Amino acid sequence: MRDAGAGRVPGAPIPPRAGIGLRTAHHEDAAVGRADVAWLEVHTENYFHDGGPQLRALERARAHYPLSLHGVGLGLGSVAPLDREHLARVKRAVRRFEPALVSEHASWGHTDGEHFNDLLPLPYTEEAVEHLAARVRQVQDFLGRQILVENLSSYFAYSASRLTEWEFLAAVVERSGCGLLLDVNNLYVNEVNLGLDAGRFIASIPAAAVREIHVAGHRRNCVGTRDLLIDDHGSAVCAEVWSLYERAIARLGPVPTLIEWDTDVPALDVLVAEARKADTILERSRELAA
Amino acid sequence: MNSLPDALPLAELQARFAAALRAGAPRSNEAAPGFPSDVALPDEPAAALAECIVDDGLAPATRVQVYRNNLQAMFEDALARTYPVLRRRVGDDYFARLAVEYRQDHPSQSGDLHWVGRRFPEWLGLRTAGSDYAWLADLARLEWACEEALVSNSLPAAAADSLARVPPEGLAGLQFSLQPGLRLVSSAFPVWSVWQANQPGSPGNAVDPSLGPQQVVVAPDADGLALRSLPVDQFRFVEELAAGRTLGSALDASGLPVERLAATLAWLFGAGLVTAVTPQGASAPGEGETSTS
Repeated sequence: MRDAGAGRVPGAPIPPRAGIGLRTAHHEDAAVGRADVAWLEVHTENYFHDGGPQLRALERARAHYPLSLHGVGLGLGSVAPLDREHLARVKRAVRRFEPALVSEHASWGHTDGEHFNDLLPLPYTEEAVEHLAARVRQVQDFLGRQILVENLSSYFAYSASRLTEWEFLAAVVERSGCGLLLDVNNLYVNEVNLGLDAGRFIASIPAAAVREIHVAGHRRNCVGTRDLLIDDHGSAVCAEVWSLYERAIARLGPVPTLIEWDTDVPALDVLVAEARKADTILERSRELAA
Repeated sequence: MNSLPDALPLAELQARFAAALRAGAPRSNEAAPGFPSDVALPDEPAAALAECIVDDGLAPATRVQVYRNNLQAMFEDALARTYPVLRRRVGDDYFARLAVEYRQDHPSQSGDLHWVGRRFPEWLGLRTAGSDYAWLADLARLEWACEEALVSNSLPAAAADSLARVPPEGLAGLQFSLQPGLRLVSSAFPVWSVWQANQPGSPGNAVDPSLGPQQVVVAPDADGLALRSLPVDQFRFVEELAAGRTLGSALDASGLPVERLAATLAWLFGAGLVTAVTPQGASAPGEGETSTS
């Protein structure tokens, strides 16, 4: 049991330790501070409503844990304008829950007539850098704060891309002032699916911009002789991803790290055990630095 | 093509991607999220997007299909979260077919998937009108009412003794403000019984038409939702109050016998459904919008 509200002020920074993604199954544990983790992240869109038990559970949980709001529906890189109502609801959730971090994705997701409710990839071009950076600035101006932008998992690469993924993200950081949310599982998924050089990615991103890390599980499908990984956040973090994570922490130092498990959500102690693995790696990095 | 695919501007790439997603219902029954269900010759929109994708030995059309299947799976999941009872009654396979057809007519209009099922009851009503399955649309209306009630704001409840302070001659002219999350669903079918019999852990009975019409009040409570089936006159009385009629005219219009008024009011106050009581014409403090569906 965590010390209810001890020294907690709303908006308190997220410590460089492991947190978990909070899903409905564990609302009650979080509301009373029973989850033994350092912080929580939720999907912003799940708290867009006016009321109800979901909202009340998170109101209680934030007395015990620093929070991060992670958006999945804004479609930052869409050529169609951002949905003003969606953006207003993000702002309302930010005011209501006073998260330490607010994040979204380097993706697009809608046209004027339809939302695809998926994180669709952008080409890594100068035009896309300009577009995404302008959108990030628009959101940051509207919210009055910095946001983090997360690297995607992708199932294809555009032949139009002229930059590497890390060059693309670094340019967006430089032109918008956003931070980065480094999803290490997505690096591995892209390594298998697209031949990304995950090691070079980690060695090349602007280290100071990385404010949060995600690790998660994925599903492996075979297509002929090829593996295609599906980023479903439905299982434990695999050995390859932990190994990339260690490399990331070796370069970046201790960074708040989230265990992302969104489908087939397991028992709380399984999530906490995953968080322990990340905490062990983070602890070792602190010892080395001392 | 006028320009080389690798020189296409962002807008054109997204237009091609969107067209490929719009055209693509899953092409096999294995609609597991992300599973590339087949590698047959792509349709035209998929081929137009595939032209813009690096071919490294894994067919671009297969990669496009992953996004199509993800999209449909997420859409169906969101719909299933709103309509679990309906899905249980029609079965997973038929529900999946309904989700494909419904998405073609009503693609998502929001980055928040919660609202994807808003027009499903109406759509299902058109689809099942006059058939033996017309009750499914009413069941969907009930489940949508639950969805709305569950995420609505709850206002502080008015105390029952707020009536005691009103002089007897003023009672008939009172207006009642009800919880913003209150929803009223009436059906020619026994939808409340079906809903009850198909909750998790219950046997999952089919609809028994002999039970006749039912009227259901859905409202948020401390644990989530409370559903209650009411006799038709009592239901109409609540409907009239929710529409802003005074106590007296609600009683007249609903046909609720005056001797059942006290019990009805005791329930409304006891369940915390009344948020304010005001003389006719006065504005209620914190009045919320109460809608009937």
